Amino acid sequence: MRASSAVYLFKQGIRNIGTNHIMSIASFFILTVSLLLIGFTAIFYANINSFITDIEGKNEVIIFLDEEADDEYIEQLGEKLKNTDNISGVSFYSKEEAFEDIKKDMVNAEDIFGYIGDESPLPDAYRIKIDDVSRMSNTLYTINSFDHIEKVKAPYDFVNILTGLRSIISVILTVILVLLIVVSLIIISNTTRASVDIRRREIDIMKFVGATNTFIKIPFFVEGFVIGLGAGTAAVLITCFFYDKLVTLLSTETTLLAAVGSNGFIPLDSFLKYIILGYLISGAVISAAGIVHSTRKYVKV
Amino acid sequence: MVEINNVSVTYDGVEALKDVSLKINDGEFVFVVGENGAGKSTLIKLLIRDVKPDIKKGAKSSMFVNGFDLVQLKQRRVTELRRTIGFVFQDYKLIPNLSVYDNVAFVLRSIDAPNRYIRKRVPQVIALMGLKDKIRSMPHELSGGEQQRVAIARALVNNPQLIIADEPTGNLDPRTSAEMLVMLKKINARDTTVLVVTHEHELVKKLGGRLVTLKRGEIVFDGYIEPEVHHKKEASTV
Ligand SMILES: Nc1ncnc2c1ncn2[C@@H]1O[C@H](COP(=O)(O)OP(=O)(O)O)[C@@H](O)[C@H]1O
Ligand SMILES: [Mg+2]
Repeated sequence: MRASSAVYLFKQGIRNIGTNHIMSIASFFILTVSLLLIGFTAIFYANINSFITDIEGKNEVIIFLDEEADDEYIEQLGEKLKNTDNISGVSFYSKEEAFEDIKKDMVNAEDIFGYIGDESPLPDAYRIKIDDVSRMSNTLYTINSFDHIEKVKAPYDFVNILTGLRSIISVILTVILVLLIVVSLIIISNTTRASVDIRRREIDIMKFVGATNTFIKIPFFVEGFVIGLGAGTAAVLITCFFYDKLVTLLSTETTLLAAVGSNGFIPLDSFLKYIILGYLISGAVISAAGIVHSTRKYVKV
Repeated sequence: MVEINNVSVTYDGVEALKDVSLKINDGEFVFVVGENGAGKSTLIKLLIRDVKPDIKKGAKSSMFVNGFDLVQLKQRRVTELRRTIGFVFQDYKLIPNLSVYDNVAFVLRSIDAPNRYIRKRVPQVIALMGLKDKIRSMPHELSGGEQQRVAIARALVNNPQLIIADEPTGNLDPRTSAEMLVMLKKINARDTTVLVVTHEHELVKKLGGRLVTLKRGEIVFDGYIEPEVHHKKEASTV
């Protein structure tokens, strides 16, 4: 193809957008909304996922020992725990340490400590981390079978709920994403079909004078890509604006999130480049796929 | 040149052309007439490969158009065939938001022609059709006859070996129809083969020449008729 032809076909595509401006504006808005829905669904998923990962990462099990556990036994138990499957980061947390920590936390409560005296009333304990949360119940069962265990404190239910929640959310959001993509495709395909209809005459002429399929289709692709990239850009700007607003708004709740062990929302900067790429590529791809679909029937030599 | 031997066309069981044989030499002018549904448009579609010839086993079918073997023609070479044919649509099919110049140039731009050639060739054909003054006009500013001449200019612009027109006079008054056919005769005189489908029997009789008559998918007449000189004179003086 000549460079002059490429320029001509590109201009034709741009001209199509203008000739067909109502349809173009409609496609642009529909695609922008679809992209935003897709984008926010993905971002929502990423955040939920990151919350859960944060919380899981911090999931600590504390094993309290009874009074009869002597130093020798405590050492044996430490080894045993280290050798148990699915456990990592075994550390001993002595009753003295625990007592100091509590004192530190309650600076204004010296009176109370006066009554208690210097002897720690707390039990010795081990702090461990569970590697694979989904196998937690088995691991806890094993730990409970060891001697001199007074109590095992695990965020068992909470983690279980989160893990279950994650798989449910994954499924739901994947379904929503796929539906959104399919719906956008259908809408774009219909809008470009109207555009193809308007240019039936030109397409007929081109076919009969021996224009190649490529020549006939390029302007439609240009039209679709430009609208797709435009909608992608709009979606990027809207997302950046609203995500920051949303995060600021919800940040008052981050103390709550921190309390359950989350680091809070994913900062915009860390996924900005994926958002930009994602929006532009999906905008262009959805547009192009819609156009391939709508022109397939008519544009055939 | 067109050479069709024993070719049929079937649309989902309906035989629109039955065992048609037709030979048109370079430089000929041929009228094709026939009732509605006789298969005239199908014959044209066959020539520009809008429909495929239906080759029967045993029947010695063959089909050549401008040197292309349409029985063997690969899909990707259809465009090459079409570039040797100029097509005039019945309803002109001018693009309403393009000027006369751009309507004609549209053809060359669509087939990757160089800009320099387009700038030289387009005004040439427009002038040939007597539309020099209308080169910047929009289609809606033209009369029916002028619009039809733009359509012919568009068919001519790529120097086709064969011009095909499907009922080009369908929407014109008798006088402009006559002008139109005379215009096509002029083009034919410059050595382009012309095939015109028409139902203007009277005009055909007046002009004379080779006539092919289709009836229910079959060629029932193919021969030369003498022009009715007297009638033509009368018509033009009235
Ligand atoms: N696309 C089609 N599908 C089915 N039948 C068709 C199609 N085109 C034409 N026909 C039939 O083929 C016959 C010839 O049609 P056509 O070539 O258009 O006739 P004409 O141009 O002489 O009026 C008619 O019976 C018509 O109904
Ligand atoms: Mg017809």
